[in-house]
Amino acid sequence: MNKPMQVALIGHPNVGKSVVFSKLTGVTAISSNYPGTTVEYLEGKVVHEGQVIEIFDLPGTYGLSGASEDEKVATRLLAEREPDCVVVVADATRLEPSLVLAFQIIELGYRTILLLNQMDVARKRITIDVEQLSGILGIPIIPSVAISGEGLDGLVESISSPPRKPSTFKVRYDSHIEAMLEKLTSELTTYELPHPKRGAILKLLEGNEFFTAKFDDEFRAKAENEMYEFRQEHGEDIEVHMNRDRYGEAGKIISEVVGKIPRQLSRRERISELTLKPWPGIPLMLVVLTGVFICLVFIGSALETFLVAQYAGLTAGFFDSLAHAIGGQLGASIANGLNLTMMSIVAIVIPYILVFYLVLAILEDSGYLPRVVILLDGLMQKLGLSGRSIIPMIVGTGCNVPAILSTRVLGSRRERLILSTIIILAVPCGAQTVVILGTVGAYGGLIYVAAIYAILLALILLSGWFMHHFMRSEPIGLMIEVPELAVPQLDNVLDKTYNRVKDFFVIAFPILLVTSFVLELLMNFGVMNALVEPFSWLTVGLLGLPAITIIALLFGILRKEMSLQLLVVLFGTADLITVMTVDQMFVFALVIATYIPCASAFSVMFKEFGLKDTAKVTVSSIAISFLIGGVANLLLSIV
Amino acid sequence: MVSENIEEYLECIWELSQRSTPVKTKEISDKMKVSPASVTEMMQRLAEMGYVQYEKYKGVTLTQSGNEIGTRVKRRHRLMERFLYDIIGLEKKESHEEACRMEHTLSDESERRICQLMNNPKTCPDGDPIPECSHSCTLCVSEPSLPLSEIPKGETGVITHLKCDDTAKMRRIIAMGFVPGRNICVEDRLPMGGPLLLSVQETKIALAREYASMVHVLPSGKCSKAV
Repeated sequence: MNKPMQVALIGHPNVGKSVVFSKLTGVTAISSNYPGTTVEYLEGKVVHEGQVIEIFDLPGTYGLSGASEDEKVATRLLAEREPDCVVVVADATRLEPSLVLAFQIIELGYRTILLLNQMDVARKRITIDVEQLSGILGIPIIPSVAISGEGLDGLVESISSPPRKPSTFKVRYDSHIEAMLEKLTSELTTYELPHPKRGAILKLLEGNEFFTAKFDDEFRAKAENEMYEFRQEHGEDIEVHMNRDRYGEAGKIISEVVGKIPRQLSRRERISELTLKPWPGIPLMLVVLTGVFICLVFIGSALETFLVAQYAGLTAGFFDSLAHAIGGQLGASIANGLNLTMMSIVAIVIPYILVFYLVLAILEDSGYLPRVVILLDGLMQKLGLSGRSIIPMIVGTGCNVPAILSTRVLGSRRERLILSTIIILAVPCGAQTVVILGTVGAYGGLIYVAAIYAILLALILLSGWFMHHFMRSEPIGLMIEVPELAVPQLDNVLDKTYNRVKDFFVIAFPILLVTSFVLELLMNFGVMNALVEPFSWLTVGLLGLPAITIIALLFGILRKEMSLQLLVVLFGTADLITVMTVDQMFVFALVIATYIPCASAFSVMFKEFGLKDTAKVTVSSIAISFLIGGVANLLLSIV
Repeated sequence: MVSENIEEYLECIWELSQRSTPVKTKEISDKMKVSPASVTEMMQRLAEMGYVQYEKYKGVTLTQSGNEIGTRVKRRHRLMERFLYDIIGLEKKESHEEACRMEHTLSDESERRICQLMNNPKTCPDGDPIPECSHSCTLCVSEPSLPLSEIPKGETGVITHLKCDDTAKMRRIIAMGFVPGRNICVEDRLPMGGPLLLSVQETKIALAREYASMVHVLPSGKCSKAV
């Protein structure tokens, strides 16, 4: 058995790299977080004629200068794994930026293969002389259509065939840079990196932190001196010139190998354009977003009712006998705790999270999400948030757990934490919506529901304003590529959904289990009922609710919509209007809509931000919700 | 790096081929004042390097890369001649000789700046045309550039430079392909202070105005709608 080959996939975002990867590796892929970062990368295997090829998919990067966290991780992974071969995945319809990336891989001395993806679209627009391009770059070039699998056999073949002689292609930088490179190369005596000196020095000059750390102080000082002189002389940083020369070179090559086919804009391109124009882009976006919301709330809750009924039918009697088998209060607690956990999964994970992830994957793969971000960026900036935060907020109307995870699209941890806080506090998730609709919605009418939503919206605006003015959080400006719209691929959508649901499961399941047991124990040993009196200052005094609602509020920690079910159980009637006034329901729904993250949201906050910040957010959301509830109660009693 | 000798030959062939192609080896040996045998030997070398196509008895023609080097060296020669003659005030003969040496060592950047300084001259002192810059010549025109954020919708331009003190931000801009010399079209400006919608070659990018103000562009008219 041969030693497995190591192959890295690298490419810009939106070139179809993940499709290439999943088509190559099938179901063997596992996703990992690069240690100490939220950057994820995938690993998988393919076996070709007995040769095991291990493929790792680097995060999508625009360059290798180490400017973003993704680029840093890509640089480090490339260096640490020492791949036998690097495959640069390019979008054949816009070759230039991918060539610039390929130049840098070649410069670093890797055995490079260029995969020209999306050739089906490219063939309608341009001609590419693949052989000539391969001759110029001195590397194998493989045209491919990843979604149909075209060219991928050729890629595997090329990877596992004996390597050609290394490429001698070089970007010719302007004479000052070339002279500098020559000088530095000759002065570099102690050198241990596996890269050609030229490539490594270029990365040093570009200021890639990974490489600057690899040179000794003396040499680094020399390079910095050269860079300083360059800046003095040209009035611009050396990296600007380097990249100018790279793009110049790429443009020159393209003018040699690419020919344009005269044509009209295709229908897909025209639709892609229209979705970006304020008109009709913005109305269309409102339709799409409303559709998503309706999907999450109505399909979600319908599915929940159905599944819970099925679940109850299937397990009827099982937990009773389990409780009996173990015996005593403890037995009842364990059986009920287990029952509650299972039911949470049936009631939340499947209807809300699964449906939500499906919708999200479809929106992502169609290339529509960036359009929402772009169209709303101006408005969101005014609110002190960035356009990118709209996605987590939409996600939050389904469930806070994926919403918090999706804040990863934002740059800094700080911005992520701020947005997560707003989502937990003020964006009503599917379960909270159920409570709002099931209490004041059912008995008080639309006016009350609208009032609650208006309060929540005001809360979002207020917290955005607050963060903006008191925490001096400047939203980061937008800089994103706009992909063309595409028809989502079913297998890719399902793949993504599966992986995300699995991730959620791993995080939430243990927490749900523990919380359920604890709550059940408290209930069965009478602790819950003992809490009713001591907390009546809060429930009766502050909020004007029946004292017994404290139990419903406590169970809301586990699952928000359970507090509604518990109200029914506690009062012994499904007709809530006989035991609570509409005003009381209003206060109750308002508190539930703003208060404490549920156990699952708490656990994902904990995973993403650590205990300290999670605790802060939890405490403040409890405080704020009771405050708002108290004020509402006060105002309603005056009126 | 191409040697000076090779650059000399390519420059010579370029000049001769302005009259007729293919260029005879005899013409080259006459002009360069070297033996026909060494010209033949050199032509074979240049052909191997891919700068010329050489057929015995017929002569040589420049390939695209050969033509590019030839043009560049010639351009620098004539540009420097002009510079030394016009600005420094050397004699014609001296400026020619000096330009002969400088044509090989001048950096792209100096060339661009001299070109800009002299307002993009079209001819050398003898009246021979100065070949147009192969990289975008608009850079030489001394019109002021504007921040991208001030370019109106539907207009295009070439990036001249980036203006940014924050290295991290500048790297991000560079990584997205905002690099001097590239063409940018402002397709739309989204309302409420939203981002600019740009197309850079085949790529569409949404760029916040704060970033757009860091990219300086020399406007060059309306975007072409052709694909």
